[in-house]
Amino acid sequence: MIVALLLLIPFITALALMFLRPTQQAKNVALISTLASLGVVLFAWSAYTGGTVIHYNMDWVPSWGLRFVMGYDGVGLLMLILTAMVFPFIIAAGYGEKLQHPSLVNALLLFTQTFLFGVFLAQNTLLFYIFYELSLIPVFFFLLYWGGEHRRAITVKFFIYTLLGGLSLLFGIIYCLGQGEGFNGDFATIGSLNIPTSVQIWLFWVLFLAFAIKLPIFPFHSWQPDTYAMAPLQGTMVLGAVMLKMGLYGIIKIVLPIVPQGVVHWQETVILLALIGAIYGGIIAFRQSDLKRLIAFSSLSHVGLLCAGLFAWNSYGVSGSLYQAFAHALLVVCMLYISGAMKERVGSSEMGAMGGLKVRTPRLAALFLLVLANAVALPLTQSFVGEWLMFAGLWQVNGGLALAAVSTIVLGAIYMLFAYQRVMLGPDKWALEMTDATTRDHFVLVPLIAITLFLGVYPGPILELVDVPVQQLLSSLSLN
Amino acid sequence: MEQGIITAIRVVPLEHYLVLCFLLFSIGVAGVVFRRNTIIILMCLELMFNSVNLLLTAFSAYHSDPRAQVFVFFIMLVAAAEVTVGLAILVMMKRNVDSVDVNQLNRLKG
Amino acid sequence: MRTDLLTILVPVLPLVGAIILASLRRKLSANVAGGLATALIASSFVASVVLFMGFEASTGGRTVHMLDWISVGGMDIPLALRIDALSLTMMLIVTGIGSLIHLYSIGYMHEDERAPTFFAQLNLFSFAMLMLVMGSNFLITFIGWEGVGLCSYLLIGFWYKTPEYNYAARKAFVMNRIGDVGMVLAMVLLFERFGTLEYASIMDMATGGMNDPLMIAATLFLFIGATGKSAQLPLFTWLPDAMAGPTPVSALIHAATMVTAGIFLIVRSSVLFESAPFTKDIILWIGTATALIAASIGLFQNDIKKVLAYSTVSQLGYMFVALGMGAYSAAMFHVTTHAFFKALLFLGAGSVIHALGGEQDIRRMGGLKGSIKITFITFFVGTIAISGLPLMSGFFSKDLIMAYGFQHSPVLFGLLLFGALLTTFYMFRLLFLVFYGTYRGKAHPHESPLTMTIPLMVLAVLSVIGGLLNLPHLFGGHEPMKHFLETAADAIRYEHLGLSATTEWTLMGITTVLVFTTIAMAYGRFAKRATLEGAEADMPFLKRLIAQRWRLDELYAALFERPYGWISAHLFTTVERHVMVPVMNGVGAAALAMGGVVRKLQTGNTSFHLLAMLCGMIVFLLITLMSN
Repeated sequence: MIVALLLLIPFITALALMFLRPTQQAKNVALISTLASLGVVLFAWSAYTGGTVIHYNMDWVPSWGLRFVMGYDGVGLLMLILTAMVFPFIIAAGYGEKLQHPSLVNALLLFTQTFLFGVFLAQNTLLFYIFYELSLIPVFFFLLYWGGEHRRAITVKFFIYTLLGGLSLLFGIIYCLGQGEGFNGDFATIGSLNIPTSVQIWLFWVLFLAFAIKLPIFPFHSWQPDTYAMAPLQGTMVLGAVMLKMGLYGIIKIVLPIVPQGVVHWQETVILLALIGAIYGGIIAFRQSDLKRLIAFSSLSHVGLLCAGLFAWNSYGVSGSLYQAFAHALLVVCMLYISGAMKERVGSSEMGAMGGLKVRTPRLAALFLLVLANAVALPLTQSFVGEWLMFAGLWQVNGGLALAAVSTIVLGAIYMLFAYQRVMLGPDKWALEMTDATTRDHFVLVPLIAITLFLGVYPGPILELVDVPVQQLLSSLSLN
Repeated sequence: MEQGIITAIRVVPLEHYLVLCFLLFSIGVAGVVFRRNTIIILMCLELMFNSVNLLLTAFSAYHSDPRAQVFVFFIMLVAAAEVTVGLAILVMMKRNVDSVDVNQLNRLKG
Repeated sequence: MRTDLLTILVPVLPLVGAIILASLRRKLSANVAGGLATALIASSFVASVVLFMGFEASTGGRTVHMLDWISVGGMDIPLALRIDALSLTMMLIVTGIGSLIHLYSIGYMHEDERAPTFFAQLNLFSFAMLMLVMGSNFLITFIGWEGVGLCSYLLIGFWYKTPEYNYAARKAFVMNRIGDVGMVLAMVLLFERFGTLEYASIMDMATGGMNDPLMIAATLFLFIGATGKSAQLPLFTWLPDAMAGPTPVSALIHAATMVTAGIFLIVRSSVLFESAPFTKDIILWIGTATALIAASIGLFQNDIKKVLAYSTVSQLGYMFVALGMGAYSAAMFHVTTHAFFKALLFLGAGSVIHALGGEQDIRRMGGLKGSIKITFITFFVGTIAISGLPLMSGFFSKDLIMAYGFQHSPVLFGLLLFGALLTTFYMFRLLFLVFYGTYRGKAHPHESPLTMTIPLMVLAVLSVIGGLLNLPHLFGGHEPMKHFLETAADAIRYEHLGLSATTEWTLMGITTVLVFTTIAMAYGRFAKRATLEGAEADMPFLKRLIAQRWRLDELYAALFERPYGWISAHLFTTVERHVMVPVMNGVGAAALAMGGVVRKLQTGNTSFHLLAMLCGMIVFLLITLMSN
């Protein structure tokens, strides 16, 4: 029931929006739909008692032995919560945007949500792959038609690049399906795969490439800054907050279980790349003049850390990474929302056009500051819990890598504070008339910040959710 | 099926049917591939259909299996439909490019 | 149970204040906001006093569990507070001096339209600082550690319209963060080693094992954290710049409380440092170097607050020297007395600045002793206290450190004595230039309101009698503070000053005579001045170098700041644009190139396509036939 509701609520609403085109009410309808999904997910959370909950398990392509299996475990549920929680805010952020054809925009967003739910519900690798690629399609059209400057070139690049990764993943999955009888593509049967180490070493990259591009980690990131900067606000939110978490989820569900030996072999390389990305993004972000591009690079930096934590391959690293994934989703939405709010007021997201805005918008400045506290991972915000766990996990792998990871907290402080200063502080040089934070701004930012702080002080609920699956994952793989 | 027709068909050895059908089919293929006149192409298509129909009937008779003849009816039906569409396209083509030469339709050139 | 509640209330009250004030900041008047903030921190103080009264030192300490915080896998870090001698000492300092400074701020900030915000941030700072000192494990301390950093950032940049202040605020935060890297790594390392971050458990587990490389690394990392927060070499340059904040902030955060967090942390983990003599040596020498360098810079500063800032850095250096020698109680004693007199001096400076309508340059002051009498007297008391005139609080605490120094090595004593004389000299230079001679400014000086002078008077009294807290045996006391702190940190039990009474009297005598000589020198040079010496350019090289603060700011700018900006810009314009993006575009180009090859097949010729289809079918047919 839950699975069906999660897939149908956004899908049917999206279809209705697409065909009925209720221009005036489109945003409200979409908002209600996402809130309904959120309700369903929260219900699922409250009913969740552990283990893997399978809702559907039926024949799909019997001749290949493929089964249509949908359900979720703790990690999947975390991702569902994340998706469901973030989407209402993404829709709400659209109230400030004056995009043409709001029905279509919201329909595309809801299609994306459907497929994202699908990704996190799928319990079969091929089904995962299908939803994984499907989710790209609405985003593609959204960016193509509602993007900013150079949207065609950038969107096509983005599409081809991520598709390349996807094809590699598909190849990998099909290769695995050809191995032996036991594996029929279900996550549950991955354990019966027995791939020789020499194969795992190359198969790792085949599978990992898709997620490396999607996350993205260095050096596969170059699609990201341009795309983030060009995409409409909501598009960037979807990409940054949820879509990249598919990469993380995919690594946990597919890469780690299928090629554990390959992971062991490449572990330090991947962590090193991820951390290079984290530092690289952090350094570049400092001098960016466009707020959105700055957020893109800061996201690169955060995601590098996420990936490094995941590949630390121990309970602290993986739990921390998952926790941080949640924190990062909320953070990205907040940051982008603020950049959008500033753009609404100033007319551009160039920080050169801002400065001293705190005089005009003190409330917005205060909200920005709270978001910033989360961005630089001050304790008692959500990010700190995740980062601390990841640092602890990385230390167990290698002290030098941990040092590199921890050094990002300095880089984060440097660029975030500089950005804050350039936007909010200093003399009010442009003397533009503008309104302070509106009801809508509060509606989006205050709950998000409240969640951030609550989960920073009391991270128990989320940590409990991931603790058991992570322990199981680690123990099942160490047996292999 | 009436026993008489079957016996009549069986008078001619199966090999002859095979050879005839192969010839008919080859003529059809050659016509489709090498002729440029769309009407001829459509006719050659019919030729191919009919060669297959003939073969089906022959085998049906030799194996005493009426199922093949059902296919023949289906093929005839489809062929009729196909010709309808094909001729309609032909008419449009004549109207638009004032020609029935298929090589005029090369806008898909990459 | 009742004490548990009280314990929790201590940090929570200011937090509540911060939240209320921040949310009502537009509706409250400056005085109401100030009153509320002061009342809350004062309640915290009262609660701390009650806790202190009810505290049985012999029990060692108590942990108050509030909430499970991070618990995953084998990690279980609760949100818990610890009450023991050390945290109580710090709580009393933080809330006590904090209350006085809050009270003072009511007068100081009453004209500022953002006063409620100011008080909210001040209260938030108090909360963070209390978390820092009360945390029962490293991670809770780290909450406060980062929290005070954030508040320090906010308050330094409180007058956000001035870009230089914002720069100073950012600089403070970033340099603190560099230290925090050390702190985080130390915590990770300690967790890895002990499987817990609870102070109590670590204290039990960490015994013996001298020179364990892991312990040396952990203590070094902790010390790096401490250098950031407590402004030691090489990370001290942020503190003088931090004077951009309102003066009460400088008094509370950048003199009395936050900057002593590093010392607190090391005393807290003294058991670790005891097993790492190597680290202690490093602390000792960094402390000495900082004390001397900062004192030398203090000689030539012309901004009243900058003089005090360098003085703070220098005094913090003394505290680290004490830590480096294992004299933890001496360090804590100096933390306490320093909190009294440095807060007093800063508040006094604030009163002067207030009296002169914002003037901070001592070249435009002078002769103020008549017009602002209370400020003068209290400032005078602060000056003699910091200079260590006999029987003042600074006398006892600094002499204790210097006596330990003598025990360690006479050379160290010489250096410390030299530093102390420099301190005396620049402090009296400041005193004489501000209050003696003739007035060189234009504004009309007026005494500050009572809310500002009462804290001054209280602090002046404390600065005088503060020595009683740890009165040495030589003066008939029995070092109560040391014995109190012993119960919280075992290492303090082993501190021992083994000098004979004669030696101690001699050292004290030498110091006192030299201090008085220095005062006389300063009096001769500055007391009667009507004008001050000219531009820096006329000075001899060394003097100019010192006056330009050893050019450390310039050095850091050239070594780190500018290269970082350059790298940031060039990584983007060069590496990203010319290496990374082309790699990605290569994928597209490859796809296009392949398309270019394959498109030739698309002739658009229907016959050709049909032929191709036929050939394809034949090929498939053949494959099928062959495979059978």
